[in-house]
Amino acid sequence: MLVTFYNSVHTLRMDLGMVTEYVGLQHFREILTSDDVFWKAARNSLVWGVVAPLVDLPLALTLALLLHARVPLARVFRTVWFTPVLMSYPVVGVIWLWVYNYDWGLANLALRALGLGDYAQAWLASPATALPALILVTTWMFAGFNMVVLLAALAAIPAEYLEAAVVDGAAGWRRVLHIVIPLLRPTLVNLAILDFIGKMKQFALVWVMTRGGPMWGTETVATYVVKRAFEWKTLDLGYPSAIAVIWFSIIFGLSVGLMRTLQRREVLEF
Amino acid sequence: MRRPLRRLLLVPVLLYTAFSAGPYVWTAMMSLRTTDEIYRSHYGLPIPAHWDKYARAWNEFGYATYFRNSTIVSVTSVVLVTLLGAMAGFAFGRRRYHFPLREPLFLLIFLSVMFPPQIMLLALFQILIQYRLFNSLTGLVLVYTVTELPLTIYLLRAFFAQIPTELEEAARIDGCNDWTIFWRVMFPMALPAVATTVILNFIYFWNEFLYAVVFITQQKIRTLPLAIQFLVSDQYQDVGMLATGLMIATLPVLVLYLFLSEWFVKGMTAGAIKG
Repeated sequence: MLVTFYNSVHTLRMDLGMVTEYVGLQHFREILTSDDVFWKAARNSLVWGVVAPLVDLPLALTLALLLHARVPLARVFRTVWFTPVLMSYPVVGVIWLWVYNYDWGLANLALRALGLGDYAQAWLASPATALPALILVTTWMFAGFNMVVLLAALAAIPAEYLEAAVVDGAAGWRRVLHIVIPLLRPTLVNLAILDFIGKMKQFALVWVMTRGGPMWGTETVATYVVKRAFEWKTLDLGYPSAIAVIWFSIIFGLSVGLMRTLQRREVLEF
Repeated sequence: MRRPLRRLLLVPVLLYTAFSAGPYVWTAMMSLRTTDEIYRSHYGLPIPAHWDKYARAWNEFGYATYFRNSTIVSVTSVVLVTLLGAMAGFAFGRRRYHFPLREPLFLLIFLSVMFPPQIMLLALFQILIQYRLFNSLTGLVLVYTVTELPLTIYLLRAFFAQIPTELEEAARIDGCNDWTIFWRVMFPMALPAVATTVILNFIYFWNEFLYAVVFITQQKIRTLPLAIQFLVSDQYQDVGMLATGLMIATLPVLVLYLFLSEWFVKGMTAGAIKG
């Protein structure tokens, strides 16, 4: 950690036996003023970090409420939905490369089966659809996980509240909104922040599925750091360290900010 | 709730189940079919089932090596992290142990739970090079141990802190010293908590990709996630064999999960703090 901060104000030439040279804030200036790729990567990561919780959590909450309403075989469904989070990103990445395959992938197959064949496309080949496609993959992975946490929180709510809310049908939905969600608020906030942080750090899925392409369309800050450090022939660890420092500060600041605004009274506790 | 309404709820539940399980079931079916069969029809049932593909992947495509590497790294790291984490958690959790800088040290540990891996990555890279541990499984084990230790200490400390002091006093009267109190009394009591951290850490190590991809460049010490990434680019056409490889990489965890799903859920959600 401290080494990284130290590196961020130096250039560090790997080809010259790790010689360090002090450059002050030069890296930071360069990143913030003239590095277009960094800004694209930052935008992608930020979109991912904001959109993912907005998709994952409502979906997870809906699923949790469904199972909580004593659907038959709820335990089986819970077990199945939780499974994707146990797989590694490379495994998930390969499976979804196949799902998004233009000719025979599940995604296009489903569209054609529904008569929406016109929408079938090479999902990862266009900058417009690649990022949403990857976001859907993380939703696939994490919705079940979030659902399980919410289900546990739901179970902790005194039964009378929910019975009252669910029993009387249509009006019950409004009660779910007004009773259950406020009670789940601390859990939802925690999950949202974790989801946000997780997506801001996203590396592996992108590395396996698109390598940041097409046209930087799925580049994240994390993949850019690794590329700058080990793939570009700049052979300088200082510059990517500076990116890491900037990004860490942003994640940290935004998380604390989120916690403050969403959480109000509650403290982050597990 | 009334019955017909509950049946209606099954519709979205089944739809989501198809979305959730579909891709993996499809992969499982492809893992039992040859690539030729797959290219003829991508959604055929695995009849006849080519179980021998698993043996071929294992012997001819190097999965035996990758599996061994992953096992060595994950198991060693879990053992180290658990032992160190339990002892440190015990020391931090029991009020009786006053050592210098106790509170600042714990704060530091708590903060490092939140560090994103990227910020450690380049510094660790440099350190590994310095100590000639780059490109070695030992180096990877050390990195894994160090990066997961804070969270493990944090989780176990909370557990040790709530064990009543009377137990400790009783053990002391029976002639135990700190060391035997820990191993004979406290550690066995903490086993449920330890089990959750073992599961959490094992899954993390088994699936870890970022550190592995940066710190390991030699083929023969690749772990499974790393191997899969390389096989995808080298043998993209050989869909059937890749599917078999994916199953080999995931089945051990998933089979354990089937039998111990409650423990897995507990372990994974305990790690929710890490995201």
